[in-house]
Amino acid sequence: MTSADVLAAGGKATDTDHVGGSLPRRPRRIAHLDMDAFFASVELLQYPELRGQPVVVGGRNVPAPQVQADGSRRFARLRDYAGRGVVTTSTYEARAYGVFSGMGLMKSAALAPEAILLPANFDAYRQYSRRFKDAVAALAPQIEDRGIDEIYIDLSDLEEDSQTLGQRLKQAVFAATGLRCSIGITPNKLLSKLASDLDKPDGLTLLALTDVPTRVWPLPVGKINGIGPKTAAVLARLGIERIGQLAAASPALLQKRFGATTGVWLHEVAHGRDTRPVITQSQPKSISRETTFEHDLHARQDRAALTEIFTALCVRVADDLARKGVVGRTVGIKLRYADFHVVTRDLTLPHAVSDAATIRRAAGQCLKRVPLTQRLRLLGVRVSALEAADGNETEPGVQRELPL
Amino acid sequence: MLLVKTQRDALLAPLQSVSGIVERKHTLPILSNVLLEKRGDALTLLATDIEIQITTTATGAGDGEGSVTVGARKLQDILRSLPDSAEVSLILEDRRLQVRAGRSRFSLQTLPAEDFPRMALADGQAKSFTVTQKQFRRLLAQTQYSMAAQDVRYYLNGLLLIVDGAELRAVATDGHRLAFASMSLDGALPGDTPRQELILPRKTVLELNRQLADSDEPLELAMTANQIRFTFGSTVLVSKLIDGKFPDFQRVIPASLRNTVTLNRAALLQSMVRAAILTNEKFRGVRLLLSAGSLKIIAANAEQEEALEEIEVDYSGDALDVGFNVGYLLDVLNNSIVDTVQLGFNDANSSSLITLPGDDRFKYVVMPMRI
Repeated sequence: MTSADVLAAGGKATDTDHVGGSLPRRPRRIAHLDMDAFFASVELLQYPELRGQPVVVGGRNVPAPQVQADGSRRFARLRDYAGRGVVTTSTYEARAYGVFSGMGLMKSAALAPEAILLPANFDAYRQYSRRFKDAVAALAPQIEDRGIDEIYIDLSDLEEDSQTLGQRLKQAVFAATGLRCSIGITPNKLLSKLASDLDKPDGLTLLALTDVPTRVWPLPVGKINGIGPKTAAVLARLGIERIGQLAAASPALLQKRFGATTGVWLHEVAHGRDTRPVITQSQPKSISRETTFEHDLHARQDRAALTEIFTALCVRVADDLARKGVVGRTVGIKLRYADFHVVTRDLTLPHAVSDAATIRRAAGQCLKRVPLTQRLRLLGVRVSALEAADGNETEPGVQRELPL
Repeated sequence: MLLVKTQRDALLAPLQSVSGIVERKHTLPILSNVLLEKRGDALTLLATDIEIQITTTATGAGDGEGSVTVGARKLQDILRSLPDSAEVSLILEDRRLQVRAGRSRFSLQTLPAEDFPRMALADGQAKSFTVTQKQFRRLLAQTQYSMAAQDVRYYLNGLLLIVDGAELRAVATDGHRLAFASMSLDGALPGDTPRQELILPRKTVLELNRQLADSDEPLELAMTANQIRFTFGSTVLVSKLIDGKFPDFQRVIPASLRNTVTLNRAALLQSMVRAAILTNEKFRGVRLLLSAGSLKIIAANAEQEEALEEIEVDYSGDALDVGFNVGYLLDVLNNSIVDTVQLGFNDANSSSLITLPGDDRFKYVVMPMRI
């Protein structure tokens, strides 16, 4: 995660929960549901004979298992693999050998040569993803989709206690898919994401804010969603490795080191505080347009052509924003140089914008911050930190949806 | 070559009735134009955005013959800024259209009439019936405000019409509230006509709502599987239909209600309008507190300012505390023309039903807001 991302996450955390006035609301109860070793588990449903063995999914051109004359299946082994593919996922047994997602397959083969290697079957994963989400939706409809294998669920309006709900959700997911999942239920998304990871696999972890010192503070700071390796490295240099140390750190020091927004955010999350709502509508996160030039262009020699393309991209992004009925606060650019090196720059504005001229001005500011000595292959314009243009209809978590 | 010679208003009125659908920006330049077609005494004007086409005919436009297309907005702006009583001539000369009035002269560029895209209804398969303009306009007025505007569920960006033998029903929803209205077809169609559902695009609905008169003049609807044609007065509107499956709206209409209260519409509307002033601009939430004999409407904004409206009601059901987007309530109150409305609730988390006592042809379902 880049520092810009941390900044964005921090910004989000501070400007939400603005339901105004003195009107009371029910205490929030948010679940984070994470499927256990999702892709690998789907594969195990297909190949039950592999249960209990180290299995790795990934790689390109990995042969599918062959059915042999006696009806049994022959699987590829990790040691037979040669190529540049990476691990998409691995079973808990393979993880015990130190094989994790993202690792090169050749490197994994050195750690677990006998592990079974399967090709990824994304159609099946998507199908199981839909099944588990449908099963959850039948019990608790306020769902925020976080990808193929995880969701947040707002349980605030349900009557049952969290333990019962958690068990029912796990049973429903198992009944619909035959797969296990881990659930964290806490007052907010931040803690729920941490909690679902505490007792994996097949876990159900409930945390209250009062549990933060005992359960959360001993964890390394990198466990917090939003603190990536770079932020963690800077924190480590300050002698901060555990979340508890982060909570004890002086807010002034954090703000000095990370800027006001991220500094405040680090302090808040270390205390388990997070007011982000569960976003049930799938709004786009950003809208962008980019174009690869017919031949590489130079910022000075081809200035006129570049300016025209740049403006046209901004107009198209503005059209897309209008069509989707959203406005955005962050405007960014992306450049790919002739040597394929990519840079991005963005600028967060005080107010959300949507018109082509303002986007063009902001994107122009970004362009001033990148070196333009090399020729360019590609130029892109992006608007993110989106919100609804009219504001009152699509605001997340507040207006309920008709069960259409 | 003289095309038209007539009073300004005789030209401006029909032009305005077709030019409303012309988009400002278009990939096809000719779509910014209006087609003028003159035959004998009759001038036909036609505009389109490929999805909708409007045609209208005016008579008494002088002798000329011929056809041409010219920028709709420019011609309209010129006519509008001429004096009311001006006599206007349109003269086609060397592929330019001259507009002359008094001592004013305008020369406009044109595009050939043959290039203008046209939509026609496949008449052979069309099913048609006639209602009064007033009836259909009322049906639209009762429902159109609930249409979605730019929803990814594209089939919600329009209005569902159901033709079912003796009845015509309209449904619109944006996923937060739903409006349903129906009207009798009084035998305008044979009773055994198969049920047909069609989704009118949002733009078509808004245009019809703008153009239909509050009169007993006839409106003919003719429909095929993918197009619909509305004929009223001297105007013909042809529209594509949205190709999609509208959700089953019946299942969101609550079948039973635990608590109902009947209120004077005007009094409730005025209280809501006042309370709305102090709602949070973003959420526009109001709380309705219903208890024996009283309905309180409470609003508060981000600055902690508060509004309290109290209405005496004849109510003895459960005490209830439920939040709504005030805009959704104002919409239905503003678009109803009856004296009383009935609000029905189950609990603060489920949908509420608003109906009009004595009129079972209208239903409005609105989801609450968590405040």
